[in-house]
Amino acid sequence: LHGHGKPYRTSDLARMMYNLSLSPAEVIKKWRHETEDDEEAKEDGEEDDFFKISKAEGPSTAEDRYISHFDYVTLEKKWEDEDNLELIRKRFISGHISEKS
Amino acid sequence: MTDERTQPLLKFTGQKYLTHRLVLSTLTGRPIRISQIRSSSPTNPGLAPHEVSFLRLLESITNGSTIEFSYTGTTLVYRPGLITGSADGLGASGGVLRHELPAGCTRGISYFLIPLCLLAPFSKAQVNVIFHGPGVITSATPTGDVSVDTVRTAILPLFAQFSIERNIELRILKRSCAGPGGKGGGGEVQMVFGHQVRLPKTLHLMNPGRVKRIRGVAYAIGVAGANNARMIDTARGVLNKFVPDTYIFSDVSSAPFISTNDRSNPGAKKKIGIGFGLSLVAESSTGCLYSADVVCPPSGGVPPEEIGKQAAYQLLEIISKGGCVSSIAAPTMLTLMAMGSEDVGRLQMGRDVIGSEEMIELGRDLNAFGGSGWGLRDAGDESGDIVVSVVGRGVGNVGRKIA
Repeated sequence: LHGHGKPYRTSDLARMMYNLSLSPAEVIKKWRHETEDDEEAKEDGEEDDFFKISKAEGPSTAEDRYISHFDYVTLEKKWEDEDNLELIRKRFISGHISEKS
Repeated sequence: MTDERTQPLLKFTGQKYLTHRLVLSTLTGRPIRISQIRSSSPTNPGLAPHEVSFLRLLESITNGSTIEFSYTGTTLVYRPGLITGSADGLGASGGVLRHELPAGCTRGISYFLIPLCLLAPFSKAQVNVIFHGPGVITSATPTGDVSVDTVRTAILPLFAQFSIERNIELRILKRSCAGPGGKGGGGEVQMVFGHQVRLPKTLHLMNPGRVKRIRGVAYAIGVAGANNARMIDTARGVLNKFVPDTYIFSDVSSAPFISTNDRSNPGAKKKIGIGFGLSLVAESSTGCLYSADVVCPPSGGVPPEEIGKQAAYQLLEIISKGGCVSSIAAPTMLTLMAMGSEDVGRLQMGRDVIGSEEMIELGRDLNAFGGSGWGLRDAGDESGDIVVSVVGRGVGNVGRKIA
């Protein structure tokens, strides 16, 4: 289906952004090259094709959120790992100030 | 009625992005029809109390808007009028508009404030609204709203980037967390937005800089102030090794009282909205802001240390996504850019910030309201960010056409 290229390509997102035949969720999924199966199994496994379409069109259970859902257990693991801390350190004024002007 | 022929109704479905679509409709003057609002919900179909309340707010700060509901409330037709703000004689008295929120409201006050701030720069007169009543929740909510402190310290400063900076104030008169079951609060907030412009300045924000300081507000409402100290302590424990310049304010207040609506004892009042939470804002060397918000759930049972830690990790996660705006601020920024003069504005955004469902829907909505499409390109530095180019529509403030 999308065998070519690597995920997260800017041109892919620009192309799909205004393609109204894809729902925003589908655009993100394709852009990240996530496989359809995991996602669907996670949400609800028993639905067949007929219902999937209506669900994508009218997300009647979804509500607006400003703060997205965070899984704090994974976050804590991530930000206690020294490698990840090193990666983010350059986003702070205190770290590696000498290597960039 | 002539409008009807020249401007057909723009059609949308679903309750998601409702406030933002209403804001865009008001700003561009395009009437809209939103259908299938919770149409498949067997228990609560149609508009929720907070959405009805937002429509009432729109009605009172505009002149000539018409709102039609279907019988079940699942379909809504909105024809926008002129944004008049809190001008005397149109619902406001003494230049202040008092807006009461019903007790069943489950959303934080930021649900109303952020869209209101988007409308306010394009108003004819200044916007001065007091939110009161048994539904005002000033804290963050489990439904995903940011706290009023985050609006004040992370959203309002964004307007300065568009040269909208004078006489803007958000006063927190009474704090409140979400009440039992996440419903209602009893807080009180006053929003003064006195800087109206013809057109917002074209924005070029391409350098995220580095985070230089972190500020925050810890609030404890109706509970011991020691909770604040414990939240601040753990949050600082995580953040101090990155930014020594971390300062978190502590605000302790008593729980608000609201009427119990008991017929036999009309004077009876009850306490509501007890809890604690933490709002953190990181500021970069170039003035970009990243915010995090965590609040205790209305059912309780989470220690303040956990809240402090979660807020700190959430902030790190949001900073790590990069770009010049967080996903909380991005809709405000991009909408103001789209309303600007007919010139190309640029905004650098993190890959995961622009690549989200909300942003794609926002881009499509702006396009549907007559805006041009966004241009996306790689930032070309090591950050891996994307630069979004937005061409303004040059609509601006209709009430200020004659300067």
